[in-house]
Amino acid sequence: MAASPHTVPPCFIHTFSFTISIFCHRKEVSGLKKNKTMIVAFLAPAVIMFAIIFVYPIIRTVAMSFFKIEGVTDAISKWQFSGLANYIKLFNTQLFRISMWNIFRIWFFGGLIVMGLALLFAAILTSGIRFKSAFRAIIYMPNVVSAVALATMWLQYVFSPKFGLFKSIGDMLHWKWLSKFQWLDPDHLFLALLVAYCFGMVGYHMLIFASGIERIGSDYFEAATLDGANRIQQFRYITLPLLKGVTKTNITMWSVSSAGFFLWSQLFSMVVSNTQTITPVVYMYQNIFGAGNSVTERNSGIGAAVGVLLSACVVIIFIVCNKIFKDDDIEF
Amino acid sequence: MKKKILSVLLCAAMVTGLLAGCGSKDTPAESSSEAQAPAETSTEEAAAPAESTGDKLVYWSMWDAAEPQAQAIAQSIEAFTAETGIEVDVQFKGRTGIREGLQPALDAGTNIDLFDEDIDRVNVTWGSYLLDLEDLAAANDYEATANAGLMAACREVAGGTLKSIPYQPNVFAYFYNVDIFEEAGITAPPATWDEFLDVCQKIKDAGYTPITNDNAYIASLFGYHMSRLIGEPATEEVVKNGDWDDEAVLKTAQAYEELASRGFFSETIESNQWPAGQNTELAMGTAAMYLNGSWLPNEVKDIAGEDFNWGCFSYPAVEGGVDGTEASNYGAQVFAINAKSTKAEQAFQLITYLTKGDADKLLSDMSVGIPADSNNAEWPALLSNVKPVMESLTTRYPWAAGAEANADMTPIIVENFTKLCGGSLDAQGFVDALKAAGK
Repeated sequence: MAASPHTVPPCFIHTFSFTISIFCHRKEVSGLKKNKTMIVAFLAPAVIMFAIIFVYPIIRTVAMSFFKIEGVTDAISKWQFSGLANYIKLFNTQLFRISMWNIFRIWFFGGLIVMGLALLFAAILTSGIRFKSAFRAIIYMPNVVSAVALATMWLQYVFSPKFGLFKSIGDMLHWKWLSKFQWLDPDHLFLALLVAYCFGMVGYHMLIFASGIERIGSDYFEAATLDGANRIQQFRYITLPLLKGVTKTNITMWSVSSAGFFLWSQLFSMVVSNTQTITPVVYMYQNIFGAGNSVTERNSGIGAAVGVLLSACVVIIFIVCNKIFKDDDIEF
Repeated sequence: MKKKILSVLLCAAMVTGLLAGCGSKDTPAESSSEAQAPAETSTEEAAAPAESTGDKLVYWSMWDAAEPQAQAIAQSIEAFTAETGIEVDVQFKGRTGIREGLQPALDAGTNIDLFDEDIDRVNVTWGSYLLDLEDLAAANDYEATANAGLMAACREVAGGTLKSIPYQPNVFAYFYNVDIFEEAGITAPPATWDEFLDVCQKIKDAGYTPITNDNAYIASLFGYHMSRLIGEPATEEVVKNGDWDDEAVLKTAQAYEELASRGFFSETIESNQWPAGQNTELAMGTAAMYLNGSWLPNEVKDIAGEDFNWGCFSYPAVEGGVDGTEASNYGAQVFAINAKSTKAEQAFQLITYLTKGDADKLLSDMSVGIPADSNNAEWPALLSNVKPVMESLTTRYPWAAGAEANADMTPIIVENFTKLCGGSLDAQGFVDALKAAGK
């Protein structure tokens, strides 16, 4: 398969393209044919590191997904070839299908909430309001607090059916539906997880949107104001179209973090996993290191197959994103 | 030409620097004597014994440094070194650190002389890395003051030979608030299911919640009831093979449907995400009983207070069942020695030191745990009622009595059993949900 630039991590895209650009530039300018040794010498470290750190693990993971392997570091001689059995088992296992559905829900619904709020806050913060820095810091604050502390706060304080914040608010306002709402029962745990996770993620994406909005020159808005456009029209016809590239970045970042969703899932269902919070990475972990307190069957081959499927999902999202948000059709 | 040579030299220096930067590095906080093997060896069988580059004994511990167990062990290791002159590099990896890191480290030939974890994980998951300890135990007359039942359990899980030494024993049973029992007029803990129902009713009548639990342990309720009915091996088969049509499944569900319909569970049982039930209900004195391990009094002691009156009884026997109150999950953390260790005798010396006499007592006191040395007959006051239960057990169940034997089913069992206990699912609905999960 030809490597699309979006199938490898961004840091390596930079390193690789930087190296290539030096190579091309030198070739054009000074006819580097004489200096082949130098090219090899300078390229070698990056290429070797790329091969060891990225190419080898990718190839090994794909290969592992066709074998039954008990320990993740078992010698290759211990691997038992199983063909597509790992993939077939995954598709036939309800828990894995649930985990894929959960990750889709987190990506899609969480994405809508987070991107919507982030864009709204970014637009408000860049509209010249007072105490902009203070508001920005407050909204970003959850990103600097440990996820463990945040999850504990949500679980043991905010959502608690006995002493929770929502229960207290419900009691205060005499809203029985709110004070009696069981956020953490099997029917609502996913909702609770989504609320808590999105709360922590809005600030990060808001900053990216805000930086994108600040890049747009004030001339456009001044001209639009003179032409009689109101704030909403300016946002709809100037800000949004010019944020295309930034939106693509945000969706990419959101997709990558969603695909690797693990910590919040673990924190919302400690010790044993839960049907409402399990994600493919948690399922992968259980297959590699065992589940809960029990000694359960391990198969790193299934873990590898989960990794391959997740990568395929991320690549598909990137391709779709690239189709929808074509780069550079507007320059400003 | 000179420039070329200089450039090539600079290049070489850069590559060397890069590789050196990526290499392993010993830090004083982690290990002062660790011999890291190249990453490539992780994929190959390390044929030669792991080399010890330092004189220290390397011990990877399952405890987090802040836990009382770790503090007691660290204190005892200091005393051990002062007494014997043997220096120990103890690394508190925590449970996750050991679970994720031990096997890759052993495969990579990392110098680890001894490690510890749960009896089943050490002997089953890492069994092939363990040194057989029969000779060392015999030579040191280790078993003279060891808990015979736990030594037998260690041999049983290791396939008939001794590959691990137990410490911090634990037992899984119903833990209850004796004061609530007394207030409700209950004179003896229940031994049968009918007595259990009677006890629940009395507690409810006295104004308390009879039973609470959390998502982390609720599958055990299912596993213990099933195992009482048909035995643990049969329960494990049902869970692994998805034989949800087995009549024991429906019987178990019906028993719990009755508990739920009579209002014996906490009102918030469906929302109890660990540790909410144990902390805010049992320890706070609003709920009376919780099926859990003997580590519970230690976990909640800061909330419950030192004057909390702990009681303990084995899961009740059910009518026509295969197992009675003599069966439960009991076990221990265990120490094991790396088969490739070059300091096996010193490692065994350390294990003996930590599991006997003053060190064992210190660990028991600091962690409110059960002592391993049979000479340490006095148990912590909070666990005094656990002793008769522990001593009455003759059949050993694995974790959750087999209910969590199938990782693909555990979350589905937990979800539906929680709903059953909360009353939002009936017995047949529970069975149907499990059957649907296999499709």
